[in-house]
Amino acid sequence: MQNKVEVMGLRTYIITRILLTIPTLLLLLSMVFLLMRVLPGDPVALHFEKKAEPAQMDEMRRLLGLDKPLWMQYADYILGLVDINYFIAHGYPNLGKSMQTFEEVGGQIFSAFPATLELAIYSMLIASVIGILLGVASSKKYNSVQDHLLRGFGTVAYAVPVFFLGIVFQLIFGVFLHWLPIGLRISPLVNPPATITGLYTIDSLLEGNIFKFFESLKALILPSLTLGIILSGIFVRLTRTNMLETLRLDFVTAARARGLKESTVTYGYALRNAFLPILTMMGLQFAMLLGGAILTETTFSWPGLGRYIVQRINFRDYTAIQGAVVMFGLFVTVVSLVVDILYAYFDPRIRL
Amino acid sequence: MPERIELATVVLVLVGIIVSSGTMIYTANVLSNVSTVSSDVATLTDSVANLTSATRDLATIMEDFGASVADLKERLAEIEASLAVRETLIVGTTDSVELTLDPAQAYDYFGWCIIQQIGSTLVSVKPGSTTGADFVPELATSWTPSTDLKTWDFDLRQGVKFPDGTTFNATHVKYSFDRAIALIPKIPEGAPAGLGYDAIFNRTEVVSTYKVRFYLNFPFSPFLGILSARSSAIVDPKYAPLPWAQVNYTAGNARASTPLAFVGSYVLSRWERVAGRDVEIKLDANPNYWNLASGYPKLKHIIFKFYPSAAALRLAIEAGDVDMAFRHISPTDVLDLETNPNLRTWWGTGAFIQYFCFQEKRAPFNDTRVRVAVAAALNRTAVTETVFLGLAKPLYSIIPPGMLGHTEAFQELGDANYTYTRSLLTDAGYSPGNPLTFKLWYETSGHYPSSEDQALLYKEAIEAAWPGAIQITLEGRDWAAYKTARDQEIMDAYVYGWYPDYVDPDDYSFLYWAKWLHTNYDTVNPVPYQQQVDLYDEARATTVEATRISLYAQIDDIAVDQCSVVPLYVSSAWAVTKPSVYGIFLDITQDMRYWLISK
Repeated sequence: MQNKVEVMGLRTYIITRILLTIPTLLLLLSMVFLLMRVLPGDPVALHFEKKAEPAQMDEMRRLLGLDKPLWMQYADYILGLVDINYFIAHGYPNLGKSMQTFEEVGGQIFSAFPATLELAIYSMLIASVIGILLGVASSKKYNSVQDHLLRGFGTVAYAVPVFFLGIVFQLIFGVFLHWLPIGLRISPLVNPPATITGLYTIDSLLEGNIFKFFESLKALILPSLTLGIILSGIFVRLTRTNMLETLRLDFVTAARARGLKESTVTYGYALRNAFLPILTMMGLQFAMLLGGAILTETTFSWPGLGRYIVQRINFRDYTAIQGAVVMFGLFVTVVSLVVDILYAYFDPRIRL
Repeated sequence: MPERIELATVVLVLVGIIVSSGTMIYTANVLSNVSTVSSDVATLTDSVANLTSATRDLATIMEDFGASVADLKERLAEIEASLAVRETLIVGTTDSVELTLDPAQAYDYFGWCIIQQIGSTLVSVKPGSTTGADFVPELATSWTPSTDLKTWDFDLRQGVKFPDGTTFNATHVKYSFDRAIALIPKIPEGAPAGLGYDAIFNRTEVVSTYKVRFYLNFPFSPFLGILSARSSAIVDPKYAPLPWAQVNYTAGNARASTPLAFVGSYVLSRWERVAGRDVEIKLDANPNYWNLASGYPKLKHIIFKFYPSAAALRLAIEAGDVDMAFRHISPTDVLDLETNPNLRTWWGTGAFIQYFCFQEKRAPFNDTRVRVAVAAALNRTAVTETVFLGLAKPLYSIIPPGMLGHTEAFQELGDANYTYTRSLLTDAGYSPGNPLTFKLWYETSGHYPSSEDQALLYKEAIEAAWPGAIQITLEGRDWAAYKTARDQEIMDAYVYGWYPDYVDPDDYSFLYWAKWLHTNYDTVNPVPYQQQVDLYDEARATTVEATRISLYAQIDDIAVDQCSVVPLYVSSAWAVTKPSVYGIFLDITQDMRYWLISK
């Protein structure tokens, strides 16, 4: 049990990290603003490919607030993002309006985000379990046939294009075996659960509807398995490398010498110490997934953020793209914060 | 004294005897009762034991009964589920409602498709029509045009109810058309604007509760076609209140997402959009539908699921995730799926056309000779056979085959008529030393089918007419940018497409000079333009078929001479379903009437 000093240390660390996140976020938001306003030129001109009538471009600038002085636009931009009243009223931050439909970009992003989050969670779970278990198994039989095979799996898994693996799974499990749906978030014959979190599996459980939970899970199997297997390739190799180093350390030998079971030595001692770099990688990969797994979402007709961003790019909808970049930056920042906190929890040395 | 004691003793003894006897009798009675009670208790105990046993038996029976009830419930659920499956059609599509289900705004195929299922117009085209001119009553039961075709009277169907019990009548018709026209300035891209409601309609008058009169600004023979278009669907004033404004999608509230009066075969029960694209649309059979007595709609529920690509849609129908795949399965896939014994392919007449446009306000296409030269070099067959695998047909008139007024006028120029192309270009001063150069634009985001493949073949064919003397650069743009480029008149040559708003040559012939195409044909070539417009107006003003045919033929002849817009091909229509699906009509209207479909 942690003593009072250690708890205070962790608490201080957490508070410090949260406070440090604020200037990080401010820097991120400012950089996004500058990139969209200054470096590539006028987003309205780019939207119209610099060939629109001046009146047409001026009207769009006026509607989007782009006719104001730069400092005023920046102020509106930052104040809009931190507008608590807007957030409370809408449930999402003020990210401006779409250049194509003039709908709230925040609304569009947050309507697509739950699907992406759900896919990311299950994919990461699969990737972690497969990657870590296989990585450990590989490290235990160093330089054996098993080791080579598992390393090979790790390489192949990461190299396979996600759409290829996805289509193969769709053909096998959907078209030939008719075991699983090839796309969409839930069977068309089942009404989605009432929206609480937007994650169908969680909302089904909150609704107490086990049938919907399993229907949602069924729809998640193929896309999360596809993405999970591909990501597991990274974790296999990373786990193997870290475990090989850790298994050579004296404390592991000492643990074995004390007569502890091999599984306890491996998972209770070695893996715990080798886990931290894996945790960092998990955080990074999860943050990437939150930006939308474009190919997976397209392959499995998953209505997530990835498909949204591709559509907005096709329409050259720069305000929507800006909003998506801001949200992606926020996700990465938050996930990094969580990883750092978990890191500090697992490794007290970090807090010193 | 001793006698008294003796007497007392005797009395006492007697009393004692009596008491004792009484006590004994009482005791005996009691004992007897006890014995009876014991016996009763024993009996009771037995009874209780029996009761307990019976209760246990009952519990067992109840358990079994409960299990039977549970089995029964499960079985009932299975039956209900299978009935639900049989009563539900799941349609997979790559389409999506572009923006709204407001008839004052919607002008996209899928938006109109949904409006047709949930709303109603005064008249509609008979399913299976080959000409598109077989109009049948819908919310109107009969109609009478004036001889000058400027006044049209409609008798309305009585007893039609909105879901809230409101009875449909002539005021709803007037309200709907007044609203559509009033919103034109605010919604210039909407269908009423596109169809020219403000030019056509003078006013709408309520003659009586079930009679409405339309006054038109000019004689208009295709008026029934306009009334059958989805922009003429009747709205519910409660959901389209004053002051009039466009009704947009409302998340989580299907009823508030459209102003339509739910007097069609279905009601919109669920509409889910994520980030501006449809995810699910669910339609439930309308219990107040005026045509229920005829057995329509056949199915209780229609569920639309949306897929991002033709490949995903193909997989969905093969995997059985959907019952029907409609728009867009690629030509390659549909020909392959036709051989699948587990699926059924439906074929139908097409009315979707594509055509070549030229920007005439500047060189090189301000010169008629150059336009005609390029038109003569086109090879339609190469495109229809290579890109569309024979599922499209070359088109030689802007009016598709099967429709009144169709001709083969552009056959005069022929296909890959390279000799003619060279001679015209030579006259215009072009040669390998002074090549004709221009950009050919095409759309890249799938709004039209296989645009890039088409563009490659057009380029190949035109350049082959005179190698070195014609140099074409291809430019691709997504749909939004393509429309913008069209409006900005920066495209030298470009390919466009058209679905019918209503099936009448009136809805096609004007494409030769349509101002929204921005070809500037009217300003650069005012004389032939005016000739065509005059012929067009004359065709509108008569119902005599022979006259109309002759007039449209003359319009085509001028079009061949001018080549401002050159027809390319007309597409077929197709759908793929599970074998259990019936009742699909793919006729010249391009409408999918889901109320006719059964399983």
